[in-house]
Amino acid sequence: MHIKRRDFIGHVAAGSAIVTMPVFLSGCGVHQAVAIAEATPENPFMNWFGVDEVTIARVMAELTAHGADTADLYFQHQRSNSLMMEDGIISHANSEISQGVGLRVVIGEQTGYAFTEDLTLTSMLAAARTAATIANGTRMVPPQAFNAKKTGDLYVTTMPWADVGIDQKLPLLKYVDSKSRAADPIVSKVTVAWSDVDERVMIATLGGHLITDHRPMTRLTAQITATREGETQSGYSNIAAREDLAWYTDERIDQMVEEAVARTLVLFEAIRPPAGEMPVILAAGASGILLHEAIGHGMEADFNRKGTSIYSDMMGQKVAEPFVTIVDQGTIPNERGALNYDDEGGECGRTVMVEDGILRSYLHDSISATQYNVAATGSGRRQSYKFAPMPRMTCTFMENGPHTKDEIIEAVDQGIIAETYTNGQVQIGAGDYTFYVKNGWLVEKGKVVAPIKDVNIIGNGPESLTRISMVANDAKLDTGGWTCGKNGQLVPVSQGIPTVLVSSMTVGGENVG
Amino acid sequence: MSADLQASAATAIETLKAAGAEDAWASVLQSRNVDFNYRDGALEKVQDTTARMLAVQVYANGRYSTHQTTDLNPDRLANFLKEAVAITNALEPDPQRNITPPELFANRPDTALDLSDEVIRRLDREQRMEWCVLLDQEARKHERVISATSRVSSGTQTRVEASSNGFSGAEESTYCVLGANITLKDRGDRRASDGFSAVARHVGDVPDAISIAKKALEYAVARLDSQKGPTMKSTMVVDSRVAASLIGRLMGPANARSVQQGRSFWADLLGKQAFSHGLTIIDDPLVIRGLASRQYDSEGISAKALPIVEEGVIRNIYVDTYYGRKADMPPTTGSPSNRRVGTGNKSLDELIGDAGDGVYVTSWLGGNADGTTGDFSLGLSGHLIENGRVGRPVGEMNVTGNLRDLFSRLEATGNDPFPYSGTLAPSMVFSGVDFSGT
Repeated sequence: MHIKRRDFIGHVAAGSAIVTMPVFLSGCGVHQAVAIAEATPENPFMNWFGVDEVTIARVMAELTAHGADTADLYFQHQRSNSLMMEDGIISHANSEISQGVGLRVVIGEQTGYAFTEDLTLTSMLAAARTAATIANGTRMVPPQAFNAKKTGDLYVTTMPWADVGIDQKLPLLKYVDSKSRAADPIVSKVTVAWSDVDERVMIATLGGHLITDHRPMTRLTAQITATREGETQSGYSNIAAREDLAWYTDERIDQMVEEAVARTLVLFEAIRPPAGEMPVILAAGASGILLHEAIGHGMEADFNRKGTSIYSDMMGQKVAEPFVTIVDQGTIPNERGALNYDDEGGECGRTVMVEDGILRSYLHDSISATQYNVAATGSGRRQSYKFAPMPRMTCTFMENGPHTKDEIIEAVDQGIIAETYTNGQVQIGAGDYTFYVKNGWLVEKGKVVAPIKDVNIIGNGPESLTRISMVANDAKLDTGGWTCGKNGQLVPVSQGIPTVLVSSMTVGGENVG
Repeated sequence: MSADLQASAATAIETLKAAGAEDAWASVLQSRNVDFNYRDGALEKVQDTTARMLAVQVYANGRYSTHQTTDLNPDRLANFLKEAVAITNALEPDPQRNITPPELFANRPDTALDLSDEVIRRLDREQRMEWCVLLDQEARKHERVISATSRVSSGTQTRVEASSNGFSGAEESTYCVLGANITLKDRGDRRASDGFSAVARHVGDVPDAISIAKKALEYAVARLDSQKGPTMKSTMVVDSRVAASLIGRLMGPANARSVQQGRSFWADLLGKQAFSHGLTIIDDPLVIRGLASRQYDSEGISAKALPIVEEGVIRNIYVDTYYGRKADMPPTTGSPSNRRVGTGNKSLDELIGDAGDGVYVTSWLGGNADGTTGDFSLGLSGHLIENGRVGRPVGEMNVTGNLRDLFSRLEATGNDPFPYSGTLAPSMVFSGVDFSGT
């Protein structure tokens, strides 16, 4: 049987936080009495964190006691569950509650930051005093009331993950496991990994705004190992989104399993390409990793206000052919990188970084927007309450171009198609960037001739942009669970691209003469 | 502080047992970190944070699960722990999963590891600012500097562990980091950048701020006018400061889980000559003031030195109790501590001199390795080696091959193990390596 669990209980004493009840449990024969919150507070998030406007105003006053250009309180409660199935049984099951408030003061380009996991007034005031030491000006008059901004609707779910029992997740993992094993007799091991996250964020700003966001996230991964005539190969596929359980249709899961198996089995035939410079065709979808590394990071405005990015002095210049338009957009519903509001409480939108080949806009947080005297682009993100925000990407992609995929392949005499990736990296100043190709294809005289595997590709961002010589009309977003790391902070992102030809990149390979 | 945490761990175990767990493990962590970032003559960011966390492992009815929370309010914590047991009961039994047998707790070493520095606990704002200013002034002593960011960070951590079958332990540790990253104007729109930082358990083991900034500037200046090098098969000399990363890739699949799951190229090589005679790697948890030192591992297994590779022969891999049972291998330890890589008697300059021609790698950029096959491909930058000397700076190149094959081509190691890492690795020379460039 399935026990429907409410996701929080109340004992709404002033100044005390509200507990979440986990999640994870149901149909297991354990029936605990759960007190259901019947209070209907004016703001369910305030109730959730056990604070009220008076408390927030007091903490804000302490935080800005020595002055501030901006200041904010970032309350976060995150409940994460993960499961791993190996050898047909759950080998790891984990649940985690992460709760705290981050307090930030900004003066010009200076930031003071502290956090506390104890949401009592005493602890919050102490953290506020610590963060406030960055400033040495005069006391601000903080708002006494906070106007709640309208909640967003980019990832409304029918059932929050906090209400989904483990009994509803286990069949999915078993299905992936059996489907993978049945796919081919040489499949020898299958690992299925699951995660779901139920995150609540409440941001109170010095400007008197109160922003709340309820963010779901889920990811499912199949990792396949296959053995043939003493040789072993492994590969994987995953899907991720700000979605709920209903998103996991059989069709979606079947497709992921097919991809994971196909990516693994092709490795038995795959070769290393020759080493050196050659044309590279980027397959539609996951190849958006090119945009993330070659230009996206370099366009984050913190690097540019410091002058450390190769793109620092290129605004308004032609950087690519006129059929190249590159966008970062946080407002695509249910994407892994989607956000109703960024982690400073700013509205996310569509930022055109490159428009018809011209460099148009950096990705701004409030600090850089103030310095450049432009509107923020809703790009201020942070990993959690433990970190101060900075400009980050959300969902980065290239618009369709005038060519077709077939035209692009026919145009290549000797080169490769890069199709699946594990990771990438960039040097912001030099502009050199890499991405690691797990699966791809060798192309000779306009024909796909053999599978390839395990090569790193390295290029220079601005050079690669000028070398994008063809863009097809088959743009798509990748459904994989990408995570971006910067200065020790991880955030979920999405990426996409149509089939693209880069006329020359340096491909890692073997068989050097 | 440690006594409070011990009480919390004991309470957590009692609560779990009262809720129906047969066995339980609790870890309580408390830490404070202070970071100062100083950029181009001004303090940019100060972050001062105190964090705490309770982690539990629950064994009930042949089932197992793990849980962590930062919400330590006593009432809510009690509920959280009861739920943890309920969650465990909702799983299926896993016959291989048992709490660590107490005999593995025996013979815990009494080595004084000296991981905690009272000086770090007393560091004040004035001292941090003094270091920031010294780093910043020295880091900007070059006409091409666009921006320099200096960092002074330190932290203290207390970790307490207890189990229902008699394990208890407490560890206090500290660290201190000084570093600088420098960006220089290069040709066209390019910037050259690099940096250097040093971390140690004790302030006294961190070099002085000026030496660190000088090194950071030297490394950044070395990147000026870097060009793509040629596609070639040649010798690779890896600087000690980036050798740890290569060792990490080699050892990624050197564990029972990867072997049991069929995803390790180490699987059939135990006891065999898998690599060059020049490769020795010892996992040594008892390095005094070591960054990865410990008296017991996360399962409570008492620490001792573990030879992983001796003169190219694989002696051991990392085996925890769970995958050890599944793979029928006796447990060693489930996770790496300090890794000491065997050194040679030549300096880096001598190694480069002996190499004649090749590539001297000073940083990696991206890339990856397949743990199942050992195939790898990595981006790099560094310098060409020409006639036994460090030549022009190169970047935008890849090195590609197979890790087992690469470490069979390890020709020499230096006398210069990099001290500011949990992996104490020297500079390394590999022959016949495939580079891709122009």
